[in-house]
Amino acid sequence: MARIGVFVCHCGENIAATVDCEKVAKACAQLPGVAYSIDYKYMCSDPGQNLIREAIKEKNLTGVVVAACSPRMHEPTFRRACAEAGLNPYLCEMANIREHCSWVHPKSEETTLKAIDIVKTIIAKVRKNQPLYPIKVPVTKTALVIGGGIAGIQAALDIANAGHRVILVEKEPSIGGHMAQLSETFPTLDCSQCILTPRMVEVAQHPSITLYTYAEVESLTGFIGNFVARIRKKAKSIDEKLCTGCGECVNACPIKKIPSEFNMGLGTRPAIYIPFPQAVPNKPVIDRSRCTYFRTGKCRFCESKCPTKAIRFDQNDEVINVQVGAVVVATGFTVLESTFFPEYGYGQYKDVVTGLQFERILSASGPTLGEVRRPSDGAIPKKVVFITCAGSRDPAKGIEYCSKICCMYTAKHAMLYKHKVHDGQAYVFYMDIRATGKGYDEFVRRAIEEDHVKYIRGRVSRVYERNGKIVVCGADTLLGAEPVEIEADMVVLATAGVANPGAEELAQALHISYDRHRFFTEAHPKLRPVETNTAGIFLAGACQSPKDIPESVGQASATASKVVALFSRDELTREPIVAVVNRCAPPLYSTCVGCFMCQTACPYSAIEREELRTRDGTLVKTVARVNPGLCQGCGTCVAFCRSKSIDLQGYSNEQMYAEVVELFAE
Amino acid sequence: MKQLHERAHELLEQKAVSVIIGYGEGTEGRVRPVFIRTLEAVRLLVWDDRCRVNLAVYLNKPEIRKFGFPIAVVSTPATVRTIVQLIAEHQLSIGDVVVLVRENDTVRALIQKEDLEQYARNNPVIFPPFVIEEIELLKKMSIEERFTYWQEELAKCFKCYACRAACPLCYCEKCITDVNQPQWVCVAPHPVGVFEWHINRAMHLAGRCIECGSCTIACPVGIPIALLTIEATRVVKEEFAFTPGIDCNAPSALSTFRVDDKETFIR
Ligand SMILES: Cc1cc2nc3c(=O)[nH]c(=O)nc-3n(C[C@H](O)[C@H](O)[C@H](O)COP(=O)(O)OP(=O)(O)OC[C@H]3O[C@@H](n4cnc5c(N)ncnc54)[C@H](O)[C@@H]3O)c2cc1C
Ligand code: SF4
Ligand code: SF4
Repeated sequence: MARIGVFVCHCGENIAATVDCEKVAKACAQLPGVAYSIDYKYMCSDPGQNLIREAIKEKNLTGVVVAACSPRMHEPTFRRACAEAGLNPYLCEMANIREHCSWVHPKSEETTLKAIDIVKTIIAKVRKNQPLYPIKVPVTKTALVIGGGIAGIQAALDIANAGHRVILVEKEPSIGGHMAQLSETFPTLDCSQCILTPRMVEVAQHPSITLYTYAEVESLTGFIGNFVARIRKKAKSIDEKLCTGCGECVNACPIKKIPSEFNMGLGTRPAIYIPFPQAVPNKPVIDRSRCTYFRTGKCRFCESKCPTKAIRFDQNDEVINVQVGAVVVATGFTVLESTFFPEYGYGQYKDVVTGLQFERILSASGPTLGEVRRPSDGAIPKKVVFITCAGSRDPAKGIEYCSKICCMYTAKHAMLYKHKVHDGQAYVFYMDIRATGKGYDEFVRRAIEEDHVKYIRGRVSRVYERNGKIVVCGADTLLGAEPVEIEADMVVLATAGVANPGAEELAQALHISYDRHRFFTEAHPKLRPVETNTAGIFLAGACQSPKDIPESVGQASATASKVVALFSRDELTREPIVAVVNRCAPPLYSTCVGCFMCQTACPYSAIEREELRTRDGTLVKTVARVNPGLCQGCGTCVAFCRSKSIDLQGYSNEQMYAEVVELFAE
Repeated sequence: MKQLHERAHELLEQKAVSVIIGYGEGTEGRVRPVFIRTLEAVRLLVWDDRCRVNLAVYLNKPEIRKFGFPIAVVSTPATVRTIVQLIAEHQLSIGDVVVLVRENDTVRALIQKEDLEQYARNNPVIFPPFVIEEIELLKKMSIEERFTYWQEELAKCFKCYACRAACPLCYCEKCITDVNQPQWVCVAPHPVGVFEWHINRAMHLAGRCIECGSCTIACPVGIPIALLTIEATRVVKEEFAFTPGIDCNAPSALSTFRVDDKETFIR
């Protein structure tokens, strides 16, 4: 006969305010198999846990039910307490009478009765519980970092400096991400390239970091500590060992007019190119979609100019499989293009640019070599209007969120413009100014007070061209919505930061979740901000939501510490909540008939095939087998199995059935 | 018939198969299954229009399997589809079965995947007209009328499980109705127990039913029980464009998804 202890928690007032906890404890004491039942103010407190520990010893309990909050928070607490008292932790279950009862109902007799019912179902379950033992799995101490922006660079360096191997995969020909495109950075106005390039070089030179640029992760299988990533290294069409990065080929290429991605279309590049002077690695790739040879079969000018004979037109993509123990996703973000905005002319006015384009105009390595000149005619604009929240915080555009960085970089842009064009005038249209970081508000004040940037609170309704000027129509809501019209030479839109194209596909390949806006989601918005819901996969930087550099770097270091903590052990212990295929007496050996429907249903590819043989080696049949390392305990297979041959430990058919039937029992 | 006898003789003489499952003369002018293992017994085989029952069901029975593969089966189009579906569900492998079919008055032996699939695609299962009428009739009924119809029909069921024994796709070694820890399906033949059983059966055959009608033929009290599984499979076909029994490598319709699934059921 079971000897179950029931421990009803008041959770201060959280439960006791609407549920009569004493009554719940008394009612449970009457149930079959219950040997002890008590209520207490805070079960999770030390004295509360002691009550459980002592009762287990004194009353010789064979099972424990804690009627309290969601198991999500405190199940580990109480299971540990049980283990300390010598009871197998999986004989302890929680009945949630807070979220499922006291919080959602008023104080009443019925609320208490419902709480009793909830506890009853869990008691019925615990009667069927079996002791379970944690599963041990080995750890591959190599990390995969996807995305070589500042976040990926930081994570890779931190993990490598802790003594672990890192594989960094970047889809572009160079690492650096958006930070490489920036001119100077708020709030200190230090040159972006100057602080970034040393880190890029460190990555390239680090003995523990393997860098794959022009590469993408195609799939990820396995589980925490034991992933296998399939990486496609796209053909760069050069032999990297021979190439010295001299750049002769780049000069030789006759196709020169391809809009440069790095310069946001404001400059051009050839078909064989190095994206920017400080690129790491500093070796070119051939853009096969643009190369004359690949399109028409003739040209190969670059090949004839290459002093080391490093060009390889016949190179193929290479697909490699690597084993890694943890994954950091740092694939960053992108910004909306001006073509997204009908009210600002759908991108048809050359002098209406995005913030990222303006960074390139400000940058010394940019198309204008750092002089502020407008794209249409190269003239120095004397009046520049900056429009914030272009797309952001605009439910009508499908983007309710604040892109977070635009207020700051717009202040930076206006300031840098004033520093470069002393007689110029800068206007900023804003909804409100969000400058909440360290030194941020001071930075914006400096723009307004020292550099005399004119801030106008209000939205811009329309932008159009008139006699070579760009007319910006808006309203100043601080002056009673008085209409404002500015004839500008140039307009800069602080367009919303959005998820990368392809973010969805990547999330699906990695089995991580993403939100409505296709940003990857963290496991808990407050308490687990850098973890995903998939164990062993972490998030850093703007792929999770738009972020500035300090935040991206901080998050990257946080993921590194998670990875390093994971790698500090040789073995991982996993919860034994996994599916198992049954065994029974001969001649069946198992009721599994090997239809393998479960195998097709399992979202984690955890189901394999196993041959059952008699002792003399004769094959009886081929049945399903669950790899306990891969199984996440979702139970999908259990639902699919027609013969109920597969069952989930800790949530077995018998346990679930007992719970449900208990509700109907009189 | 002569051709069939010749083919059967040849197969047994060359020891190409361990047993031939076919039709033989029964009582009262009906045919019954026969299991031919010797050359002398070959003459018992008959093949005419009365031979409609799906013999593939015997491929799952341990008593037959113990003779060892390959096994030959005298097959109707439904039998071929069943065998293809059993291969897709990993219950048989290519080469396990020599499928004897009639084609343009000759007897053909199908063994390879391509031949089986091609035959299955070209030879649809044809119902007797009354089955089609019955389905149409049921579809025209309101939900309440349909429920009454099934209440009346199923009231006759006394749970002999003949439908299960006759179904070539009910091959589980332990059927869910026999699982008693926990007892998912009530064993008693009262309305709840009977409904639970038949709903389970229809669900387990949705997207897999070959529409051979064996269960209806087997039912001793005449419940048109095939209608449930036939309709369930048609719903699967409509929703997921999936027809069972024509592709030896088809994934199971309900446990997999395709990107072009309509997903209209998600609202
Ligand atoms: C106009 C503008 C001005 C800014 N100014 C400042 C400033 O002054 N100060 C500041 O603190 N912040 C500023 N920021 C914010 C800053 O750019 C970001 O905080 C930073 O770039 C985020 O770094 P990240 O590594 O997360 O992402 P990213 O910089 O976007 O890098 C992501 C990297 O991942 C790669 N990648 C993407 N997908 C894949 C894939 N599937 N596989 C492999 N690799 C992939 C990309 O190619 C890229 O290299 C500004 C942003 C903008 C738009
Ligand atoms: S679904 Fe059930 S019977 Fe089929 S292979 Fe899986 S465990 Fe075995
Ligand atoms: S419970 Fe079943 S379906 Fe879910 S992960 Fe485990 S084996 Fe796969």
